[in-house]
Amino acid sequence: MSNPVSFIFSGLFVILAHGAMLMNIFFNGNYKNTGDLALLAAVVIGLDILFYIIMLFWKQNTYTVDFMLILILNMSTIFQASFGGVHMDKDVIKHIITCIAAIAASRLGFWLVRDYRRIQNRRAYIWAGIGFLMLVILVCCGRRSIWIDLGFITIQPSEFIKPLLVLACATSINEQQHKHKFLSFNIVWENVILFGVVAAVCLFQWWCRDLGSIPTFAAIYASGFLLRICYPKTKFSKKTLIAAISAVVLICGVGIYFAPDYVRARLFVDVWSDTNGDGYQQSQALIGIANGGWFGKGPGFGFLHNVFAHENDIVFATISEEWGLLYALMMTVVLLFICSSPLIFPPRSYFHGTMCAGICAAITVQMALNIFGSCNLIPFTGVTIPFISAGGSSMVTSGLMVGMLIAAQNPVFTKVKKKKKQGNSLLSPLKQRRSA
Amino acid sequence: MKSIRRCQSIITLFLVIFIAGMSVLVIKINREAPFYMMHSDKHELGMVYDRSGDVLFDGLHKGTYEDNHFLDIGNLIGDDSGQMENTLVAQNIDKLNNYSFSAGLVREGGKAAIYTTLNHAANRAVYDAYMGAKGCTVAYNYKTGEILVCTSLPSIDFTKGYENIGSLESGTLLSKAMCGTVPGSTQKVSTVISALEIMGPDLLFSKSYNCTGQYTNATGGTIDCHQSWGHGVQNIQQAVENSCNPFFAQLVEDPDMPLERIIEIYRKLGYAVNDDKPQFLDIDGIQCDRASTTLTNSSDFTTQWGCIGQGDTLVSPVQLMMWQSAIANGTGKMTIPHLIHHVTNVYGDTCDCAVTKYSDELFSPSTAETVKRILLTNGANHYTWSIPNYVVGVKSGTAQVMDGQEENSLLVGFLNDEQHPIAFCILIENKFTTGVTTEQIAVTLLNALCQ
Amino acid sequence: MDTDKLLLCAISAAALDLCILVLIIASYCEKRSDKKRWRSVSADMEIADANRSFPLSCDEILIGRHASADIRLADLSVSRYHAMLTVADGVWTITDIGSKSGVYVNGSLVRERRLHENDVITLGSKRLLFRKRRDK
Repeated sequence: MSNPVSFIFSGLFVILAHGAMLMNIFFNGNYKNTGDLALLAAVVIGLDILFYIIMLFWKQNTYTVDFMLILILNMSTIFQASFGGVHMDKDVIKHIITCIAAIAASRLGFWLVRDYRRIQNRRAYIWAGIGFLMLVILVCCGRRSIWIDLGFITIQPSEFIKPLLVLACATSINEQQHKHKFLSFNIVWENVILFGVVAAVCLFQWWCRDLGSIPTFAAIYASGFLLRICYPKTKFSKKTLIAAISAVVLICGVGIYFAPDYVRARLFVDVWSDTNGDGYQQSQALIGIANGGWFGKGPGFGFLHNVFAHENDIVFATISEEWGLLYALMMTVVLLFICSSPLIFPPRSYFHGTMCAGICAAITVQMALNIFGSCNLIPFTGVTIPFISAGGSSMVTSGLMVGMLIAAQNPVFTKVKKKKKQGNSLLSPLKQRRSA
Repeated sequence: MKSIRRCQSIITLFLVIFIAGMSVLVIKINREAPFYMMHSDKHELGMVYDRSGDVLFDGLHKGTYEDNHFLDIGNLIGDDSGQMENTLVAQNIDKLNNYSFSAGLVREGGKAAIYTTLNHAANRAVYDAYMGAKGCTVAYNYKTGEILVCTSLPSIDFTKGYENIGSLESGTLLSKAMCGTVPGSTQKVSTVISALEIMGPDLLFSKSYNCTGQYTNATGGTIDCHQSWGHGVQNIQQAVENSCNPFFAQLVEDPDMPLERIIEIYRKLGYAVNDDKPQFLDIDGIQCDRASTTLTNSSDFTTQWGCIGQGDTLVSPVQLMMWQSAIANGTGKMTIPHLIHHVTNVYGDTCDCAVTKYSDELFSPSTAETVKRILLTNGANHYTWSIPNYVVGVKSGTAQVMDGQEENSLLVGFLNDEQHPIAFCILIENKFTTGVTTEQIAVTLLNALCQ
Repeated sequence: MDTDKLLLCAISAAALDLCILVLIIASYCEKRSDKKRWRSVSADMEIADANRSFPLSCDEILIGRHASADIRLADLSVSRYHAMLTVADGVWTITDIGSKSGVYVNGSLVRERRLHENDVITLGSKRLLFRKRRDK
């Protein structure tokens, strides 16, 4: 353990921040009986303390991102529990369980990629995992849907492709050294495979009508691709870069031109001309933000909780209305700080660097799609804000990704002894798949 | 190491793009929040005042007002009930809302208000002068563009609710000044402007045509004169004063007046000729019709009637009044009218101050001067007894509507007075059933405005 | 808006701000221990030539003439991408990544070789010393 003083301080201040929020609800908010609020407070503070105790068992260089994680998770619990008046019903309990699952996932991610050489040698499992998930979507999600309904819980398998894609980008980066001659071209096979997989995933999402996650995948690949250009020993001229960018623009243009009507209707929609139809959610979200102002109407006093998808698709507006735009902005600052932690702690290997860039891309793009989409800056897609929106799959994958981010700051460098360790290491990709 | 730094710069790039987007969002929300709130069902509306501080609309519903206080401006100012869309309040509800992003909705003490250019006392006087007749009057300052009077009858006092909405007469819930109407002989002003632009004053004044009470044109259509025994041989000045239809029919047929040129000038004036897309004027959010007509062939009956102000021609009173401003200014440029002088926000800070705007040049200044002289001569020769004490340039008109069953009476003109630059258009519907004339209303209007 | 309501909002926002601030400060405090830890991983070594020394602050160090190289040797006898230094468990290894003139450690040509303190690496006409880090 590095710095016990800052460690205790961090924990105390996280509890303070949550306490202040709960106090705000107590004096300012809308709740029917104090019992619900007390229960919420007990759960939140209890989770904080429990997390603090759990952290005592892990030796790390830094705990900052861990505390940021518990800060944002319990913030989101408080937000979700107080929408439209404090309530501790099934949805909130589900949210708390997914929060705990996110913490568990972060530990799993941490354990998985801490030693990058271990995962590097087993990247076949990652490719297999992506293929497996796509197969699952194809088989299990009937009628071109993106959800698998298990009765008590619905899973969105496409979410789990995101961390796997990040890992695929990161593990294949070292292969840049191994070029192969093919028809007088120097080719790195993993680059071709990676491009093929990303294209397949994007086409697949298009087919599933899950248009919102395409930009996320594209951003993850773009960050990996940019780093590939700069990787030592890969010669990638500026001409090729310009050609690649213009190809992307061309594909986007053609895609929009030939897009089916329902896509185009979504791309070019004037929300104010159709406030009761397609523009309903966005216009209500904007009215909600305007109604809340800088300081909000008070926790639980908004009207947006009557709107469909208030807890995920337009969650930024719901928080803005009840807690104020200022608070909602600070919430995004916390998330941005999680993303920017690799700037304070530079990753020590190229694998971890690529992984951090991919995770940062995934988180910021999802935030941007959700916030700007619900506020009518860009087309509206049903993407979630990591940790803030309700939704199990997104919560677990985001937890996994943040765990990987923490691992990048606490790296282990060991030599892989090939024969001896391969036996038990088979477990890791298996576990990963099971978590998906 | 360098490669790690590249990772970091890519992360920075993503963060910077996101933060930039976030800043745009915050600025956008800050600026557009009043617009968003307009779509909410929660409003805390402020007041609308006239130019002397008299209340025209009370969003707080707190004050007490005499009976029918809002009757004369009811269908222009409107309210937030949603019954009248094309009104000042309905179109500017975001300016009137006592809301700002920082302060939220302010229930008490919000100072959001619209200060209009209207003169409520004069408006009231004009409204009363109609004595129950229907029609509309609009008048504005042709130097500044401030609308001083705009009343339309029948009207409604919106404070009394809309229970009897089914039994209201048609035209109650809109301002007739903003709607196209048959202009009658006031259209001849446009034809005179066209003739002057095409021929020039010398050629036009040299032309004279004979009127025998009825004129049969080249295609066999007959144009009747209101004076069945005819006006004899006249020049343009006399024809305008006599408002002689056969003269103008012959003028339109004249080879020196090619129809393409007439159409061209009509379009410049703002007419939607034949199948043109109709144009609208925006007066502080209120949509106002402009003009439309059908012109196909110089010898055609409909075309000639169109240039005389019957047939398919429709012009809104506001547009008629604006052409008078282009004449009275002597520049050929219309002064664009406005209703809102300034707006105060929830804190009482003044914003959105009106500025005077002019149209493009519709016709040359020399044409403007000539038409001004013609109209002033007409005023001096025929209106000194009915509109005493004022130097006015006017043109009257009689418009047949409902297939000739009813006749509307119109008077457009301007006051040639540096102190009171007023252009006006007065319309009385179904003139035979009323005991009031457009001249009487003009006197009331000018008396009220020039006190 | 009531003043007490505003005050509560401000307090709760301030608490969050304070928490973020504390976490950032803690992060910078922890950065020192991170450096210490890296020193143990990298065995606190550095590469030096006649004039300057190069820190080894990540697990893959590219040596070459190209602008993207971590240790850039502007000498025509050095290939653009010459050699790669990697670390694991405090042990540094040098690998030839397809150079023209080869990699020599203590005078012998190598493809891959574990480095010891005070080893002399020769790349083309350039000589580098692998040594313990010296604080300035």
